[in-house]
Amino acid sequence: MTSPRRHLWIAAAAWAVLSIVGIVLVAGIQIIPVIASREAVIENSAFVLLTIVSVPVLMFVVVGLAYSALRFRANGDETDGPPVHGSRGFQSIWLGVSFALVIGLFGYGAVGLIDIRGAQSSDFEVQVRSEQWAWHFEYPDAGVVSKELHIPLGERVHLVINSDDVIHSFWVPAFGVKQDAVPGRPTQIYLTATVEGTYPGLCAELCGFGHTDMHLTVVVSGRAALESWLSQQPKPSPQPSGSPP
Amino acid sequence: MLRAVLGAATGIAVGVGSLTLARGAGLIIDDGQVLGLAYLLAVIGFLFGIGAFRFWVTWAAGRQVDPAEEHAAHGTAGDWRRYFRFTTDHKVIGVQYLVTAFLLFLIAGSFAMLMRFELAQPGLVLGKEAYNTVMSTHGAMMITVALISIIGGLGNYLVPIMIGARDMAFPKTNALSYWLLPLPILLVAINPLLGGFDSGWTAYPPLSQQANLGQQAYLMAFVTVGISSIISAINFLVTVFRMRAPGMSLMRMPIFVWALTVTATLALIATSVVAAAFTMLLFDRVLGTSFFRPSRGGDVILFEHLFWFYSHPAVYIMGLPGLGAILEVVPVFARKPLFAYPLAVLSFISIGVLSFMVWAHHMFVSGMAEFFHIPIMLTTELISVPTGIVFLSALGTIWMGKLHFKTPMLWVFGFIWAFLIGGITGVYLADVPTDITLSDTYFVVAHFHYTIVGGTIFGLFAGTYYWYPKITGRMYSERLGKLHFWWFTLAFNATFLPMFWLGIEGMRRRVADYPSQFGGLNLWISFAAFNIFLSVAVFVFNMVWSWRRGPRAAPNPWRAHTLEWQISSPPPIQNFDHIPMVSAGPYEYGGGVGVPAEGRAAQ
Ligand SMILES: [Cu+2]
Ligand SMILES: [Cu+2]
Repeated sequence: MTSPRRHLWIAAAAWAVLSIVGIVLVAGIQIIPVIASREAVIENSAFVLLTIVSVPVLMFVVVGLAYSALRFRANGDETDGPPVHGSRGFQSIWLGVSFALVIGLFGYGAVGLIDIRGAQSSDFEVQVRSEQWAWHFEYPDAGVVSKELHIPLGERVHLVINSDDVIHSFWVPAFGVKQDAVPGRPTQIYLTATVEGTYPGLCAELCGFGHTDMHLTVVVSGRAALESWLSQQPKPSPQPSGSPP
Repeated sequence: MLRAVLGAATGIAVGVGSLTLARGAGLIIDDGQVLGLAYLLAVIGFLFGIGAFRFWVTWAAGRQVDPAEEHAAHGTAGDWRRYFRFTTDHKVIGVQYLVTAFLLFLIAGSFAMLMRFELAQPGLVLGKEAYNTVMSTHGAMMITVALISIIGGLGNYLVPIMIGARDMAFPKTNALSYWLLPLPILLVAINPLLGGFDSGWTAYPPLSQQANLGQQAYLMAFVTVGISSIISAINFLVTVFRMRAPGMSLMRMPIFVWALTVTATLALIATSVVAAAFTMLLFDRVLGTSFFRPSRGGDVILFEHLFWFYSHPAVYIMGLPGLGAILEVVPVFARKPLFAYPLAVLSFISIGVLSFMVWAHHMFVSGMAEFFHIPIMLTTELISVPTGIVFLSALGTIWMGKLHFKTPMLWVFGFIWAFLIGGITGVYLADVPTDITLSDTYFVVAHFHYTIVGGTIFGLFAGTYYWYPKITGRMYSERLGKLHFWWFTLAFNATFLPMFWLGIEGMRRRVADYPSQFGGLNLWISFAAFNIFLSVAVFVFNMVWSWRRGPRAAPNPWRAHTLEWQISSPPPIQNFDHIPMVSAGPYEYGGGVGVPAEGRAAQ
């Protein structure tokens, strides 16, 4: 007969080994597939931290279940188990650890959130307009409207997002930004792109059957390249074309 | 039943007829208004036809209700027709709910198969519009299953017996809450004929204001189910607080009864909010108001707040009964008292309270007030503390127990795994920085299937196998039960685990098509999902076949201590000849004492 204490020690050792192995495996991995902005970097480190914390929690329950399933089978024994109704010490530790984890994760999350959504100043502004099922980008300083979003590298960009009809959601996975476009209520996000290139984006909120195909493209380039691109864009005429002058 | 159908038909005829006449007289009436009135009158006609109001009408007219007739409404043992009538016996109503829920589960599961058929390969088969309707209908139906199956089915059947009562507090209201369901369920099932609806179960305006009549059908059905849910919640609460047998103190109640008590409280408080929101949305569509019409000053974010103020607690309305069923099963098959019972009760109550303060975690990218992200993130993460206590109780009971791996116990183990994955991934969605990336992706789809299937459906299966001998008086086939468990659980994990990965890689939810790089994994998922469906066929066969051919069940085949096992299987029509005296808690294993008095007499 294994003593209750011995059962605990064996399970605890298995838990410790598995947790350490798990943490070593997940520490430092990249979880967001493409990272091209300051915001995505913050989010990726949040992913890694949450995963590291999850490993021992996962292992605790898995080891508890697996060990019990292996060692505590009745195998025809029709007697009862010990009449234990609880354990004050164990329950207190459990509660203490869960509160500590929650408060720690909340603190970390709040810092990350303020980092992403705080500091509301920008170097470059774009008005994003959505409708079923297309995106339009308006550059107020240059007076240009385009189908592709062009933003400068390394500068803080302010996007003001509008919708003409139903709720859409502006999402560029590589930038770690997602924001609903709400009819009647402009919303906004800030982002700083850190890698030059062209990135796909998509509408993330169900907006009717065209939702599946509601994509967009973002081009990140240096300020000079961006200015020259802007200057080549046709300026929309103030009056609708076709009407007499 | 026939009279009910006639009543419904009369209602539809009057509704359509009167508005057609009005149209003929030159009034401008659109199809939505016709559908609205016809449905309303159909429900009323159906209820009158089934006899839901007959006692109340008699009473209101100042006449005496005939006791013989009242007795007949309770049903006679062995009469199969009572299951198709307005029967007031809580056991009949429980079976009605349970069978309805499983039928709906099969229909909604078939819709899921259609979805996986479309998603098996990149490209379109059904088409985008059809896919959105199939997806929305699957969601709406499965949510109904999760809302009614355990509390309506197992709860109705067992709660009165477990607390030592002869019936629910309001038997006629109880029957009414069941008979409110068939028409809305039918209406949702036929919504594709009305043009379908593409908004998903969340029905966010303005999309849900543009959509077809099928959308309106869904909204009306949801409100009706909500009314049924409120009525049944009141009934549960009064039953638990007024009908307990002597000696059944609150802290001697089986944990399942506690779970349902908190559930009923949530349903009572939260459901009215969503019923109001959906009614306002219906008014926008049918009567031309503009509560949620931004073009005329309405506010769509307000709708999201109202919707989730119900629909997050709804997650616990679905989940808590499952947790209760699991914790009810654990001590019996571990032959140990439930670990930390008082803490588990406290955790259910705290989940109930906290669940009202976390709704906006569904709205982290919605554009709601900026500061609001922080308190909601805190409360959402806090709710994992009481939820974690469920694991503490289950693991603590299992540890050093004498484990009997009968089918219900297997479902407990499956539940703990699935709900654990659901809980851990929930933290990624509660944390705003990670949620920004994950919201509206397949990560969310995987997460809520792990919590709702993991919490509710695993709990439902555990409970159904556990109480099957009590309800039917027959034993199910242990071999088929185990086959069902392993097949379902492996297929379930094979389906939903890869979805976390798809979500992180950027596959959006609610799309009919996706980039070809996800093709291989989606084919695998469709294959696995089809296996879930097949495994449920084993369950259905086991349940139906064993009901007719299974070996007779003893009153207490599991050696459980709770009251329902101290009476015959199935229970006599009045449950107890004498109301029992309760002298101990429900899980007194290992002490030698404490089997309730009635139980000792019965053994
Ligand atoms: Cu969309
Ligand atoms: Cu939620």
